[in-house]
Amino acid sequence: MPLTRWLRASLSLATLATATLLSPPAQAVPSFARQTGQDCAACHIGGYGPQLTPTGIRFKIGGYVDSNGASNALPLSGMVVGSFTRTGQAQDAPPAAHTKTNNNAALDEASLFIAGKLADQLGAFVQITYDGIAKSTALDHVDLRYARNSQLQGKDLVLGLSLNNNPGVQDPFNSSPVWSFPYTASALGFAGPEAATLVNGGLEHRVLGASAYAFYDNSWYAELGSYRSLSVTAQRKLGLGAADDPGVLGNDTLYWRMAWFKDLKNQSFSAGLFGLNAGIRPDRSAGTPVNRYGDVGLDATYQWLGTREHIVTLNASHVRERQRRDALLANAEADNAVGHLRETKLSASVHFRQTWGASASLFRTSGSSDATLYANSATGSPDTAGQILQLDWTPFGKEDSWGAPWANLRLGAQYTAYSRYNGARRNYDGAGRNASDNNTLFLFAWTSF
Amino acid sequence: MRRHPHPLALATLLALSWAASAARAAGDAQLGADVFATHCAECHSLKDGKHKKGPSLFAVLGRRAGAAADFKYSDAMKASGWTWTPERMDPYLTLPKQALPGGTMKYDGLADAKARADLLAYLATVK
Repeated sequence: MPLTRWLRASLSLATLATATLLSPPAQAVPSFARQTGQDCAACHIGGYGPQLTPTGIRFKIGGYVDSNGASNALPLSGMVVGSFTRTGQAQDAPPAAHTKTNNNAALDEASLFIAGKLADQLGAFVQITYDGIAKSTALDHVDLRYARNSQLQGKDLVLGLSLNNNPGVQDPFNSSPVWSFPYTASALGFAGPEAATLVNGGLEHRVLGASAYAFYDNSWYAELGSYRSLSVTAQRKLGLGAADDPGVLGNDTLYWRMAWFKDLKNQSFSAGLFGLNAGIRPDRSAGTPVNRYGDVGLDATYQWLGTREHIVTLNASHVRERQRRDALLANAEADNAVGHLRETKLSASVHFRQTWGASASLFRTSGSSDATLYANSATGSPDTAGQILQLDWTPFGKEDSWGAPWANLRLGAQYTAYSRYNGARRNYDGAGRNASDNNTLFLFAWTSF
Repeated sequence: MRRHPHPLALATLLALSWAASAARAAGDAQLGADVFATHCAECHSLKDGKHKKGPSLFAVLGRRAGAAADFKYSDAMKASGWTWTPERMDPYLTLPKQALPGGTMKYDGLADAKARADLLAYLATVK
């Protein structure tokens, strides 16, 4: 099924939590570098966002407020991503208005960031994005933080609050769904599995939530929060439109996160658990049926940092989602009242001289079959698996780089290969399309200032 | 009545002091460059006058603590009255928060005496 047709299908409220095919948003914020006086490579693996080093993790947990004391650093940044996409076989129809069925060049996005210290203990990461594919502007990620440093039994303790619009966007680790590899991907090709768990961006930007967190002894991280859905009017005013309104979130929506982190300076480790539980009423009227989602994930990271000249990273995550689909069933948008999804991601990267990067990833999504819910699959299966290989060049971002910290650029080539798509290697849609037909070459230029 | 130090404690103190001095004396500046890159460079520049989250460490040895121009130091550092000699910097690098309560350097410390000696040897070359 062509991407556009699938996207239109996904706009149905019923497919909210099982259909997220939006490309991962790119983030790179030089205003943080101007605020701290640090080079981008201090906080980001390979000298470019968003994969965080231990210093970057602490900066985020600390509320984006660390600085070099200079008072003239405005918390503003800009970012532009342009790309060329080629798929294994042309799509049946152009993936978006003003595009072709294959070989598309695009201005993917242009973003403005309000990112940095607002007050002594208050920091912001707010992104407003012009989507060059949809030709529209909307509020993107929001993460406002208050953080306070203290001591407990002689150990450092950071206590913080995050006000954000996407469960997981506040997470400081590179293995959680919102921040995992790939950090940018094609919006005009096939950017991973069609089905996705709720915690993997299913609610992004259409909710508002608050969470409280603690980071103890530079090692133990715990967070607890809840979310409420934005009204349809608010979604329209923020540029999001009403078509993707998820409905009303229940008052029992719960986001939680626990992690252990160890920074040995020349290497670092983390391991953790996270979860999102939510009931969603697609029809906003009281008394109508509710879909319930219970997501639990575990994740781990390893970074070999050495002297920072060459860096190796490993990230892993696994999410299991339980679904209770009463609203889907009532609206004849699913055959089964219960189901599940599993997402597994493994990724590794090597960065040479903080300039040349090679990243590889294995991904697999599997779940219980449902012919109506997964109508894009001839077998009613969401099962999708594949690999991603990315090579990139980041010439700037170091202390002695030309134009630092204003000039930032990453040029990359990313190839996504599918071994299985929507349940099959061959003829997955019943119309003769094979998984490998969706293989996607994505060439991108990503700049920020 | 004033109590005199126990001879054994005195001997231990002297031995530790000698060991620390010996370690500093044996510092390898080349290895210290790697220690700096691993532990310090993200927050400290070696360029004269360039401050990151921490002050520039250009020609830091011999400098009065809290005195680099245009850097906002903690009150504790400004009031320390220290001068950055190797003997002063070594315990600070070992356990910064114990050495200077109220300091704001977000660093847990470098326990390895040899690595500290290497680092100090390297910083001595940056001037």
